[in-house]
Amino acid sequence: MRLRFSYAPYPLVGRPREVLRRYVEGNDPVTGKPLMEQVVAALTRPLSPEEQNPKAARGAPRPRLLRPDREESLHQLFLESGWTDGAPIILPTEERVAHMLTGTGADPDEIVGRMTVTIHQEKLEYTVEKVAISAVMAGAGPEHLPVILALAASEEASMPSSTTSFSRMAVVNGPIREEIGMNSGLGALSPFNHANTVIGRAWTLMTMNLADARLGETFMASLGSNLNYNNMTFAENEERSVWEPFHVRHGFKKEESTVSVFQGWSAINSMGAAGCCRPAQEETLIMMQAFPCLKESLTLVMDPLVANHLVEQGFDRPDKLSTYLCENFEMTAGQFWGSDVVYSLVEPFARSGMEPFASWLKLPKDAVIAPYTSPEKINVVVVGGETQALWLTTDMWHSKTVSIDRWRPKSGVFREDDQSERRRAARQKRHAAALSRSGYRI
Amino acid sequence: MALKAAGSLVTVLDPRGQPTNVIEPLALAPRLDSLEGKTIHLIDIGFGGGWEFLEEVVAWFARTMPSVKTVLRHKTGNMFLDEPQMWQDARTEAHAVIFGVGG
Repeated sequence: MRLRFSYAPYPLVGRPREVLRRYVEGNDPVTGKPLMEQVVAALTRPLSPEEQNPKAARGAPRPRLLRPDREESLHQLFLESGWTDGAPIILPTEERVAHMLTGTGADPDEIVGRMTVTIHQEKLEYTVEKVAISAVMAGAGPEHLPVILALAASEEASMPSSTTSFSRMAVVNGPIREEIGMNSGLGALSPFNHANTVIGRAWTLMTMNLADARLGETFMASLGSNLNYNNMTFAENEERSVWEPFHVRHGFKKEESTVSVFQGWSAINSMGAAGCCRPAQEETLIMMQAFPCLKESLTLVMDPLVANHLVEQGFDRPDKLSTYLCENFEMTAGQFWGSDVVYSLVEPFARSGMEPFASWLKLPKDAVIAPYTSPEKINVVVVGGETQALWLTTDMWHSKTVSIDRWRPKSGVFREDDQSERRRAARQKRHAAALSRSGYRI
Repeated sequence: MALKAAGSLVTVLDPRGQPTNVIEPLALAPRLDSLEGKTIHLIDIGFGGGWEFLEEVVAWFARTMPSVKTVLRHKTGNMFLDEPQMWQDARTEAHAVIFGVGG
């Protein structure tokens, strides 16, 4: 259905009343015609035959293969069509995609899911083969495919279209972390590790091609987020964490492999060691003041040293820390309601009587509230190389944890050839030796 | 898995997902002959600035088309949720609706 739209100049938020009045009395910037005359006409002009009997917009099925072309022309086609993140890709030839598919036991034609970056747009459907194409483009190997398929099965785009510019995080748990060489230790969130890099990149390439993210059409994030280049993808450092792994705390067995996806906007680095001047839990309460408390959610991403420190502070389980943060964090009602996203997304529920928001909306601006009321929405993930007791406080909420094992091949995981295995082992040995020289206890 | 020599043609797979074609469009509501004496609901869906803008639209109607009765409302749930009661109220209480987005 093509609605009758009229446009006012943008933005409206925060504009003085006299400016809004001028907008109402002025012209639609798109058509150049008087705005309100156009609105009245939209309500009174008879419907066209097409408006009375609209035809469904039907997209033609996409062919499996693109027209053969020279390599450089195909690279240009992918780049100019918006099918890439701008960095070079590996062209998904039939041979490469077939090789990628050896990384899963699933049928190439099996439908994995449907995705969109905006609820205003019809979802696209994708098969195992379509996911394998994005994996090839990202530079992944077959061993990475089960994790990429699990991300695809989440049916969550890495770049949900919001003018507010969402960020994402993907955390891998279980034995597959080691089997495919993911980094959960030193510099795990930095661009050093093949698996971390290509899995996160594949999620964004899938979002472009399987969720139809098109800049200026379906994707309207004003600033955007460079976290979307690999979506904070890493493995949890289960071996060095004093707590149970994240996926175990969410109902999975330790021997299962999963990927957990998170969504939010921002991450604040603690910029100093836990316990130097203040314990980490108190420092976190200060950092939390920067966030709007939307969805009552946070995710703390912390080095194993911080987890050790928090145990010494009495938090022998992460849920105790979550409860502490809920009970001790306070902000004024004025600060809470003064956030645009809280006004847009929470205040409507307050006006309709939902508690505790309805009561909070009646409070004076300087009244103090404890807006995090659900400890289960404050998450903790452990990662890092123990060279500094740092942590990130993020406003991310945990949206889903998906099984990876369902997408593994019968052999468990694709095995590299002997030469590649030896090279990877040598890299790990050099890494371990460097850590050992620095006094790190492996 | 190197490609063929430069200059030769290469065949690759289309990376895009398949259209699902599940959405069935609806016809627009019938239009009014005139707004004279009619009731219009102005519904703010919740983005910042939308309410204030629609208040100015209400003021415009009062100045320019005083016979039009305007009713300014907040959408009850946030902008991402369907709200059957809102549609029902519009059908029974209004002759026309203007949605205001803002932002």
